[in-house]
Amino acid sequence: MNEVRIPLHGSGQSLYVAHEKVYPREIDGRFTRLRTLSAWVLLGVFYVFPWINWHGRQAVLFDLPARKFFIFDLVFWPQDFIFLTWLLIIAALSLFFVTAVAGRLWCGYACPQTVWTETFLWMERVTEGDRSARLKLDRGPWNGEKLLRKSAKQVLWVSFALWTGFTFVGFFSPIRTLATEAMALSLGPWETFWVFFYGFATYGNAGYLREQVCKYMCPYARFQSAMFDKDTLVITYDQERGEPRGARKRGTDARAQGLGDCIDCTWCVQVCPTGIDIRQGLQIECIACAACIDACDEIMDKMGSPRGLIRYTTQHALDHKPTRILRPRVLIYGGLLSALIVGFVVTVAMRSPVSLDVIRDRNSLYRLTDDGQVDNVYTLRILNKTEKERRFELEVDGEGEFTLIPDKRVYVVKSGEVYSTPMRVRRPAYEPLGPQTIEFELKSLDDESIEAETEARFLAPTR
Amino acid sequence: MNQPPAERTSDTHELGQRARAIATVFWSAFLAAALATMLCFAFIDPEAWRNGEPPGWWGTRLHVYAVGFFFFWLIGLVSAALCWQLSRGAR
Repeated sequence: MNEVRIPLHGSGQSLYVAHEKVYPREIDGRFTRLRTLSAWVLLGVFYVFPWINWHGRQAVLFDLPARKFFIFDLVFWPQDFIFLTWLLIIAALSLFFVTAVAGRLWCGYACPQTVWTETFLWMERVTEGDRSARLKLDRGPWNGEKLLRKSAKQVLWVSFALWTGFTFVGFFSPIRTLATEAMALSLGPWETFWVFFYGFATYGNAGYLREQVCKYMCPYARFQSAMFDKDTLVITYDQERGEPRGARKRGTDARAQGLGDCIDCTWCVQVCPTGIDIRQGLQIECIACAACIDACDEIMDKMGSPRGLIRYTTQHALDHKPTRILRPRVLIYGGLLSALIVGFVVTVAMRSPVSLDVIRDRNSLYRLTDDGQVDNVYTLRILNKTEKERRFELEVDGEGEFTLIPDKRVYVVKSGEVYSTPMRVRRPAYEPLGPQTIEFELKSLDDESIEAETEARFLAPTR
Repeated sequence: MNQPPAERTSDTHELGQRARAIATVFWSAFLAAALATMLCFAFIDPEAWRNGEPPGWWGTRLHVYAVGFFFFWLIGLVSAALCWQLSRGAR
């Protein structure tokens, strides 16, 4: 009788099994509290940040119409795109690093899919009751109570999803203006579309798809095992201690009955949001949320057995071998990560506050004047990334006698403005012969430390 | 306590092989489109195409971003669908 296992899925004949709705049982415990805390912090950041103002503007705003990203004191321009890429690489490496050391912490505690699913589950619990009540409700006939409870859930879900969509758009378009427009029902077509698009995605992913997102849609879930080794922290059932599993009376000596510590209460299965049995070993579906640890600890406490039949541990520890935290994989990820972070901070801090572009007019080669000079036409673009209005002067340098037309001009550029104007560069036509590269230097007249340089091609007759 | 998992119902959404393939095609194309849109418009400013002329049918930057996103999604869909079709092999 001890060999009875809980069948989790269908026959296993087909690659695609029918999906079974999972009804996770709610549980309390150390890791559940940690997960709740993490959800509060992350959701707080998401829903509150767009409303914070900073120096008279929205603190965090990815202003796509104006092509500027504001993150508190930092302003990023399209020219700073490298930093965004850099940041994404840092994020990816952090994920690799954390995964190598501690497994799928991201999935269990920080992934938006997990956080929103838990929030939606909480709303389901408030309206439809606990696990058994939900099961009963779903199996029962449609009556007044079922209708009431289900509609209450839908009202909560839909409003929360729409609020989420609205907040999401608020990261890209000033949220206070957006709120005023939403009140007056005068949102623009694209804003409306994205509010509903993101709202619908939240509703579908957190309300219905849930663990299927992790199982079928998430790219990370597919490749995370590549970062695992036998020293990685995983959530495991201690087979040696638990088996053979079976029911017993409290206070009886399990060993005398030939039983392990697992009483086969299936709580670990019932609490699992992805509907797996952790006792079958590490599975790709496991998002490492540790709900089964909390469930099992509670049962072990009741049975008077030590906690940790299901626990965070490593494969090496289970095999009674020493676990090494510092190993080549961790050192390489860690080293790369620190170098990238330090480099990022230093580079952002030393970012040039002004950018200069000199773009040759592609429609003309060059123009010879009557007095033996050659002219090239350019578009000058100055971007002032400082918070003040600046006055700039431009100089040109290269082999030959160059003059700028207009010469000695002072360009006044407002804060955050991209100043664009046509200009010409002139030199004697045959000294030297042929095309060359010339250098432009832009200097601020208000602050000598603010300067920028760039190069451009200058075309001239070759004979 | 050898109860089978009677607490589970299997009447809910069931995705067949075809449905799942279609979902995968849409989803992978979506991810690629998001990346492509970000990269593309980080380097290309739609306003710069106008050269100071009044906005045409494409309107503001936001419209161009959105249209660009759906365009990339469409391209991604074609690629992913083709990939799925070809990887199934000839019957």
